[in-house]
Amino acid sequence: MNRRNFLFTSLGAGLSAIATPQHIFANPASNLGFRLTDVTNAAGIHFRHNSGAYGGKLLPETLGSGCAFLDYDADGWQDILLVNGMDWPGHKRQRSTLQLYRNNRNGTFTDVTKKAGLDLELYGMGVAAGDYNNDGFPDIFITCVGQSRLFRNTGKGTFVDVTRSSGLFGRQGFSTSALWFDYDRDGLLDLFVCNYVRWSPEHDVFCSLDGTHKSYCTPEAYRGDTCWLFHNRGDGTFEDVTPTSGIFDSSSKSLGVAMLDYDQDGWPDLLVANDTQPNKLYGNLHNGKFRDVAVEAGLAFSTEGKARAGMGVDVGDFENSGKPGIAITNFDNEMIGLYRATKPGVYDDVATLAGIGAASKNTLGFGCLFLDIDLDGKLDLAVANGHIDETVRNIRGNVGYAQPPQLFLNQGSGKFQDVASEAGGGFDTPKVGRGLAYGDFDRDGDLDILITTNNGPAYLYGNEQFTGNGSIRFELKGTKSNRDAIGATVQTFAGDLYQSRMVRGGSSYLSQSELPLTFGLAKRDKIDRVVIDWPSGRTEEYKNLSARKAYKCLEGKGMEPL
Amino acid sequence: MQKAAFSQRSPTNRLLLGLIITLAAVLAYASYITVQLAGLRKLQSEMVDRNRKDSLQLLRIQNDLNSIALAMRDMLDTTEPYPLTAWTAQFERIQQDLDAGLKLEENLAGASRTPDQRKYLTQSVAQFWDAVSRMFALAQTGKEPDAREQIRLSLQARQQALSTAVSRLLVENNEGEEQAAASIAKIYDGVQRQLYLFLAATLIAIVLTSLYLIRANRQLFARLAELSEQRSELAQKLISTQESALRHISRELHDEFGQVLTAIGSMLRRAAKQAGEGSPLHQDLKEVQEIAQSTLNNIRTLSQALHPVLLEEAGLESTLDWYIPTVGRQAGIDLHYEKSGKPFPVETSAGVHIYRVLQEALNNVSRHSGARDAWIRLKYQADSLELEVEDHGTGFVGEKMQRGIGLVAMRERAELIGGTLAITPRPQGGTSVCLQIPREKVESHAA
Repeated sequence: MNRRNFLFTSLGAGLSAIATPQHIFANPASNLGFRLTDVTNAAGIHFRHNSGAYGGKLLPETLGSGCAFLDYDADGWQDILLVNGMDWPGHKRQRSTLQLYRNNRNGTFTDVTKKAGLDLELYGMGVAAGDYNNDGFPDIFITCVGQSRLFRNTGKGTFVDVTRSSGLFGRQGFSTSALWFDYDRDGLLDLFVCNYVRWSPEHDVFCSLDGTHKSYCTPEAYRGDTCWLFHNRGDGTFEDVTPTSGIFDSSSKSLGVAMLDYDQDGWPDLLVANDTQPNKLYGNLHNGKFRDVAVEAGLAFSTEGKARAGMGVDVGDFENSGKPGIAITNFDNEMIGLYRATKPGVYDDVATLAGIGAASKNTLGFGCLFLDIDLDGKLDLAVANGHIDETVRNIRGNVGYAQPPQLFLNQGSGKFQDVASEAGGGFDTPKVGRGLAYGDFDRDGDLDILITTNNGPAYLYGNEQFTGNGSIRFELKGTKSNRDAIGATVQTFAGDLYQSRMVRGGSSYLSQSELPLTFGLAKRDKIDRVVIDWPSGRTEEYKNLSARKAYKCLEGKGMEPL
Repeated sequence: MQKAAFSQRSPTNRLLLGLIITLAAVLAYASYITVQLAGLRKLQSEMVDRNRKDSLQLLRIQNDLNSIALAMRDMLDTTEPYPLTAWTAQFERIQQDLDAGLKLEENLAGASRTPDQRKYLTQSVAQFWDAVSRMFALAQTGKEPDAREQIRLSLQARQQALSTAVSRLLVENNEGEEQAAASIAKIYDGVQRQLYLFLAATLIAIVLTSLYLIRANRQLFARLAELSEQRSELAQKLISTQESALRHISRELHDEFGQVLTAIGSMLRRAAKQAGEGSPLHQDLKEVQEIAQSTLNNIRTLSQALHPVLLEEAGLESTLDWYIPTVGRQAGIDLHYEKSGKPFPVETSAGVHIYRVLQEALNNVSRHSGARDAWIRLKYQADSLELEVEDHGTGFVGEKMQRGIGLVAMRERAELIGGTLAITPRPQGGTSVCLQIPREKVESHAA
């Protein structure tokens, strides 16, 4: 906390003391150890999502779009990518492209979309960033309605569309979330792509609430579509292994995907959130094949045995037990699913007990993230909410189209509390939220939040700690493992505080957060040791590392502070 | 004899019998309810719950069959870029779930399924998966058109047949559930009817018992009143008998012995005169004469005490004027006698009882109160005569009052002359005995 903030806080506290007691509670600084500030404009982010909506009520209009924190120029500062839609053919009004913002390392960003060669019009939905060719620079996969695109990072600040040459061309779909992961642990990132339903403008179904006017259809109106798995051959091309890997499922209506090691066997598994269809947990069989074990794991259906409308998904060890927990956002009138592993591979929905269930009953959640927002050593849960139907208020009075994002603070003992209204910066202003990602763009050791909205602006919230909580950050680079170290697990031990994280792409909804790992340590000034399990099978351990620092760890080469 | 008759009429035995019957009825009803509830539970768990669980499994099977139908539709859709073998995992997943569902369903269906139905379902499912295997085998060898033909001609029909069979089972389950619901409703109706009967019987039993208790109570009170009356009559007879005996003894003493002693006195006086004055005989005769005189006096006093003749001759007021100082002297108590009001003549028979009450009250004062003073007030009032004896002693109300026969006699006498007797402790100590008789009961009209 700088001097100005200190003076402001002290003055605020002083004024509160002489004012009426409720002022004490009205001051966010007095309740939470952090504060969010809307820095979107100050940072130079000027983005507006274009859904292309012209009144035709076409299904994809309601779902976009995603965002990502990525370090595209590998300078150690997180840059921002915002995915955009476009006008429908025959209804052209404006030009809209995705936008790439380079971090100026001073809290501001510069729009480098054109310079980077990305000012293309696409009906984009989500983004997955990963260094598939292990050249040290993250490449970008944009999921689209129609043909998704792969952009190879040249390492010189530009991208080249390699969709056709990589063998990804020719697959038309309504693609949503995607992630890079190395499922066969060969050191090369493979690509998983979610597809929603079989939709095209020509086959759009007429749905109506009043029998006269067209409205957006629910997914039941459309046939499901399979997700895709592309194996990285290592020569810049991909092989579609969907039909042979056990991933193929023509009934899926997938929106979100997260990687995890649910059975803790060291092989990456996948959890896919499906809309009105059972969720899928693809267990890695270590031979290039997967088996859906979602029913056995207790993740396919709600506790009532009903397939819910899964949207976003994230995985995190919110209990600090070493076993990953799971959050899945669902439709309004359906609670968020918060799952804890009762034993490896078996999950229990504890949303109601945790205080998240009732709080999410009237919200339609999309993006969701586990992040330690207050650096107290416990993973909290952020959720971007927003309905798909502008007229929902007319049908369900207590549900709005724009909905406040939620920030569930982990209270320990399995309890969470929504503190969005106290977080400041207008974070809880109702939005038609979709994408959600975190990244430490100002490198102050805590996690900042990026939210995208449907047919609206993106929001960047700076996070500021003022009770002295600190963190330790690790940026992993694989040598034998994939360069991004996706799939590496890191465990830290600091006195009685144990934490575990995995380097992961994907998660949330259509979005990707930064790859470096942040461990909140509260007021601890060091960690006793850190254990890194690389996807290659190598394990490394380092001892006595100072807190409030970021470390770069090169597989097999040691660790150095950044 | 009376005691025996009374004990025969005691309600205890009948009440005990009633209690036993009531308890037996409650027990019988509780057992009935328990049996009915057990039946209900059995029906619910065995029939309804099992049926519901079975239906859920049938719905699961139906859902799987629908998924198969959708998958087959997708397989026949040639816009899908993947070969038919891509669906292998999807079919395996569905088969796994379908097998699990069928297994659970078979256990739940139990006896409600005929062997033919079981056989049909098992065989149809097995044949379907055989056909699926054959279809995938064709697809694997590159004969995709043949595999698609297989789907179109065989698999889709089999899937539809299976789906129909499952639907029929669901309908049967629904019917079974309706029957069970009817049985449950019947049990509820029976229990409700029995409950009303039990309540009515209990109500009647309570009413009858209450009536019986009221009747027994009335009889008891009537008997008590009768006994009390008899006792009172007896006591009054006793008092009358005692009074007449005392009057007789008093008269005898006064008339017979009085005259004899008076005669003995005269004769002794005469004999002494004849013996001559100064002679030893004269002296002796004089002494005997004095003894006779003294005995005569004593006999007169005793006669007066037993039944004051004065009452009959001079009336109550004069008797009290004589009696109070006499008894005061004898007992050594200062008796303060006050009269008030306009005196009226009192009938002798009533006077005797008033006199006796006073006698007993003063007796109590002298024997129990320990007081040195007592106040006697005779009040002639317009409509009553009141006699009050008050002492400032230790009091004798309470235990002594309950035990004393004298007090009983005082009350009986008061009642005998139609009056009331109030014995009250004074707040400052001592006792007040107040006899009040209506004027018309005591006033003598002879004069």
